[in-house]
Amino acid sequence: MDRLRRSAVLAELADRLQGNGSWCGETHIQKAAFLLQEALCVPLGFRFILYRRGPFSFDLRDELTAMRADGLLRVRPREQPYGPSLDATERSRALRQRLPKTIEGVQPQVSFVGERMGVRSASELERLSTAYYVMHQDLPQADLDERVRRVTRLKPHVGAEQARAALLEVDRMKTDAERKGLRFVI
Amino acid sequence: MAKRVHEIRDPIHVFVRLDSQERDALDCWPLQRLRHVHQLGLTYLIYPGATHRRFEHSLGVMELASRVFDVVTRSDALQDSVRDQLPELANREDDVHRYWRRVLRMAALCHDIGHLPFSHAAEEELLPRGWDHERITADLIRSNEMVSIWRNMGPGLEADDIVKLALGPGRAMGTDGSPMDFTCAEEILAEIIVGHAFGVDRMDYLLRDSHHAGVAYGKFDHFRLIDTLRILPAPLSGGDDESGEPMLGVEEGGLLSAEALLLARYMMYSQVYFHPVRRIYDIHLRDFLGEWLEGGVFSTMAQDQLAMTDNEVLSAIRVAAGEPSTPGHDPARRICAHDHYRRVYSRRPSDLAKNPDAGSAVAHAVEHQFGADAVRYDTYRQKQGLEDFPVLRDDGVASSASMSDVLQSIPVVATDYVFVVPEQCEAAKRWLRSNVDDVIEPREETGDG
Repeated sequence: MDRLRRSAVLAELADRLQGNGSWCGETHIQKAAFLLQEALCVPLGFRFILYRRGPFSFDLRDELTAMRADGLLRVRPREQPYGPSLDATERSRALRQRLPKTIEGVQPQVSFVGERMGVRSASELERLSTAYYVMHQDLPQADLDERVRRVTRLKPHVGAEQARAALLEVDRMKTDAERKGLRFVI
Repeated sequence: MAKRVHEIRDPIHVFVRLDSQERDALDCWPLQRLRHVHQLGLTYLIYPGATHRRFEHSLGVMELASRVFDVVTRSDALQDSVRDQLPELANREDDVHRYWRRVLRMAALCHDIGHLPFSHAAEEELLPRGWDHERITADLIRSNEMVSIWRNMGPGLEADDIVKLALGPGRAMGTDGSPMDFTCAEEILAEIIVGHAFGVDRMDYLLRDSHHAGVAYGKFDHFRLIDTLRILPAPLSGGDDESGEPMLGVEEGGLLSAEALLLARYMMYSQVYFHPVRRIYDIHLRDFLGEWLEGGVFSTMAQDQLAMTDNEVLSAIRVAAGEPSTPGHDPARRICAHDHYRRVYSRRPSDLAKNPDAGSAVAHAVEHQFGADAVRYDTYRQKQGLEDFPVLRDDGVASSASMSDVLQSIPVVATDYVFVVPEQCEAAKRWLRSNVDDVIEPREETGDG
């Protein structure tokens, strides 16, 4: 996917997250893009590593900054003490209108991620995306208990019950996605 | 009695001090080579004073890294809420604390040793796929020569720990090529060197480049800023009651200095690093190297890398400039004779409003009209995240973005330049004046991306 098409998909994702009530800061977009790419197989081309608040892509961070430079995203400061939100701009809507095939092609996946992740806080997204990372990349063959231990070792501030709930939620997401005819890779 | 602490005079920090074991590291060839690598590439062709080298920058980064470390790990500066997450840093009398201070200093000293001649110029095009200067830096830190230096230090240092802090998460790779895992403390220590908000790499290069280029844009009150740096819980987003891992932030009293740093960065990028003539010289240098180097790329073998400095390249440029049959003659002559391609287009907000890809569209159209050899295109978007860091107030921690109008207003650095060979410059400008609106008109989507 080239840079403009990727920007269009990310702007669409930001709109979908906000449409479902998301604060839509950088953390929210990072985690949503991670699942969009890794679980729902939208080929954004970012490389994610485990970092603060779970899976994180420095390439995606740079891409979001480039989108701000090109007027496709803007930073919306929020009241103290909270971090800012990122809004897709009118210019990004014009770009998406120019790329109808691209947007149509990813609409079901982006809608699914927007619905399932837009309602969650940054902490919840951290747990969910870290759980997915453990299931998908880190311990694909392990059982639930082993994965719980791994999540809590990677993120010591996450409790065992929170880790277990997040791992089970990933399984539910897979079931729900497949019911909608979407491919969901673990 | 033999001297145990050595002072090196420095125009920015006055004195840089290091002990005898650290001087052994400084004396090794991978670091001494940096005396022959210009910090700002060919920028001295525009700002004649900017002839400083990566060597003194590396010393400056080491000096600032230790100053920051000493401030943020002071017992009265560490908050209870983060102390438990950073046991390696919490006790200043501990050997572990001393170990990490030394690792940090050596990582700061070595963070640039993998740089190609003329620093950043055209690294992507001139290294084989999958290579960058960070990977070369890691290889050199793990080389036999340097590992023996690390082992002889008291306490002995692990090369992998130095690699982690020198390059940071996402760039530090293990010997198997996979990303290295970082503890919370290691993330903070790497952030001290390469962090996008308060990394001392940036602090030093802004101050130093500004000093040598003879411009004031890069200056800010780094004394005040460093004195107010703290390790703090990350800012919250709405609806969240749990912070993520800690990160570097400032006391409220240092917010103005932090704003000054980030403004300085914007100004230096706009006025010095992305000066259009500097950018076209980088392109001419890339063109020369592409023709002059065997196979068009630098060798990634450590011994070849260490043998190549700006001196070898400059010597080759001078030879090629005077001999038309030599590979790379044309770009070499342009560098030596200051006969660079001329800028015919820069990105304009009104064009971007019509087409976010206006620069690329203009470049392709001008190439089509005047031929690819006559045209060079340069595009860049700032590679950093949001300037959102924690600020410590009397009533807790707040997001910097919620407290600072200045931070909200600093533009993202971005450039799109189209350059044309001097003989066609006026014709290209005339053609663009007549055609630019049509050229940037967005096209309907066709095919796959």
